Amino acid sequence: MTAGKRRGAAAPLPAGKARAAPPPAAPPRADPRDRLRRVLFLVPYAVRHPGCPVRDLARRCGCSEKELLEDLDFLLNVGSPPFAPDDFLDLYVEGDRVHVALHQSFSRPPRFTESEAAALAAAAQALGGEGRERAVKALRDSVPRDRRATFDELSGRIYAGAPPAPDSVLGRLQRAIAERRAVRLSYHSASRDAETDRVVHPFTLAQRFGHWYLYGHDRERGRPLAFRLDRVRGCQPLAERFDPPSEAELSRMRLFSQSSGEPVRIRIAPGATAWAVARPGIKLVRRGEDGGAVVEVGAGEEWATRFALSLGGQAEVIAPAAARRHFAERVRRTLARYEERSG
Amino acid sequence: MQKDQRLLDLAALLLKAAEPVSWREIQEQFPEDYAGSGEAAIRKFERDKADLLELGIPVRYAAGDEDLPAGYLIDKDEFYLPDLKLPPEDLALLYVAGSAALAQGTFPYARDLAHALNKLSFAASAPGAAESAARAARQLSGDEGQPPPTVNRWLEELSRAIAHKKRVHLVYRGAERPETTERDVDPYGLFQKGGAWFLTGWCQLRQAIRTFHLARIVSLAVNSATPRSPDFAPRPDFSLAEVATRESWEFRVHAPVRCRVRLDPPVSGEVLASFGPRARMRDEAGGMVVEVEATNAEGLLRHVLSLSGGAEILTPRALRERARSVLSALAGGLS
Repeated sequence: MTAGKRRGAAAPLPAGKARAAPPPAAPPRADPRDRLRRVLFLVPYAVRHPGCPVRDLARRCGCSEKELLEDLDFLLNVGSPPFAPDDFLDLYVEGDRVHVALHQSFSRPPRFTESEAAALAAAAQALGGEGRERAVKALRDSVPRDRRATFDELSGRIYAGAPPAPDSVLGRLQRAIAERRAVRLSYHSASRDAETDRVVHPFTLAQRFGHWYLYGHDRERGRPLAFRLDRVRGCQPLAERFDPPSEAELSRMRLFSQSSGEPVRIRIAPGATAWAVARPGIKLVRRGEDGGAVVEVGAGEEWATRFALSLGGQAEVIAPAAARRHFAERVRRTLARYEERSG
Repeated sequence: MQKDQRLLDLAALLLKAAEPVSWREIQEQFPEDYAGSGEAAIRKFERDKADLLELGIPVRYAAGDEDLPAGYLIDKDEFYLPDLKLPPEDLALLYVAGSAALAQGTFPYARDLAHALNKLSFAASAPGAAESAARAARQLSGDEGQPPPTVNRWLEELSRAIAHKKRVHLVYRGAERPETTERDVDPYGLFQKGGAWFLTGWCQLRQAIRTFHLARIVSLAVNSATPRSPDFAPRPDFSLAEVATRESWEFRVHAPVRCRVRLDPPVSGEVLASFGPRARMRDEAGGMVVEVEATNAEGLLRHVLSLSGGAEILTPRALRERARSVLSALAGGLS
């Protein structure tokens, strides 16, 4: 069979895109394998969701609609010998919807690559829960057989954090999320410094600034709230079921409904600046000529005070006035402890 | 033919073939790509095979027997993603953990993670609630807190260097001094702590295991010579988890010193946990006393100060004195 029969020869791809060697910091898209990975998902997804809107499919694939249409053009040239009309992939767009006429055995995506599985396993290990070992084993089994040793090695090379709560608590929460079942939490409230009892419809778990939160509807308060997972002491599933939040509710959801008032400004000494601005949740306002900096935090004056103190004398809260008073008062009170008693 | 098209054509050919496809046949089907009879054509094919494997498509060579000819094939069972057969709560774990990690904006192998999450919907018969929980997780954790763009670049390049065991050259700005240092590092692993990412590896400059804060890496270059052969083998006794779970006062700066910290009642579990698994707790009059062994007392000082008014260093005397002087200097500047 000659290449002349190929559909590609009759309808060539837009030519003239010279492929320059990518500079070291080239955007990841330059790799042709990226497109392949995308289409190996795109085709089976379109097979499974006939008439999927172009926009939805592009969003699923993490690309623009234009890229998606280019991908579809590219796929028209893919086939196998003898390159008769029925030997090509055939996906087409009709009325902004994608249909698949011929999938040429690409009806399911390929197995997880070792790095896909290892990344997901690392994320699962960091969250924890009773099912994590089962889940990691299932991931391993979904990697091609002769890549499993590489998967094992790679999973030992990423450590994305320690589980935020006992496995039993997480296991119950994950089950409740999957079954849309209410839970009774015993929760340590930091603001009241006391154990409280809450009935919550758990929507999801989410991560912010290095902490894990349960996000759900608090029945007593009548609104969605975020609960830090390391403050959840116990979790009892209840018989009560709940409806999932709607798309509209989902898009309004915020981990914290209100930032805690005015942002607090902190002045950082030169020696601590590199360290401080690298911390998540810290916004650089300006750098000083001496190498120091002024930063802003949005998590309230108590958090700001603790953060400034954690820099071992190399930072102070400067504004607003109330936050500065809070900081000053805390410094004096703590200092008094060290002057009263001798260790 | 463009490479991406050739790879897919090759996969389509082998997926469709009823029996192994011989090298000669493959050459015939791809006359422009694998032309010639020499080593070069075979090597090109082998590279394509390796690329396919990296995409999750294992191409295997089967030696022939009485029933089948010798040639290349793709085992369908080894190709298609199987159903993971996990209970819904385990799927929720994978979905939510993966989505939240992705939404952080910084995660090693982030693009692989995105692909994995996409594929996950095929690996489960009824993702349902887990998938909508994952969407919510992404929505909730992805709206702010953008990390410095370079951190993502370093993460991506280091992910690849770690997987291929390639040495990297770092220009690094240490915490202690303003000037930068340059060094070669064998990257062993990446870990996250307090929301920030760190690289641990064998530092050729210090001839020891060292940890680097990704946000303080000024520039990074992966050894690009011999991209397909590893530059090093990680030391067998290395444990990433051990390094990652080290508390700041356990960094090796000086000889071990036993330190005692008093915590005011009521002591929350969160504060207790913040001293790590190796701390010893004792109830004493006036509160609880935590005992730790510090090899970086400054780290302990900072931790205790960050607990604000609720904690106080008791011993050693020098560290207590240092806490007092830090606080008194701060107080002096405030009045």
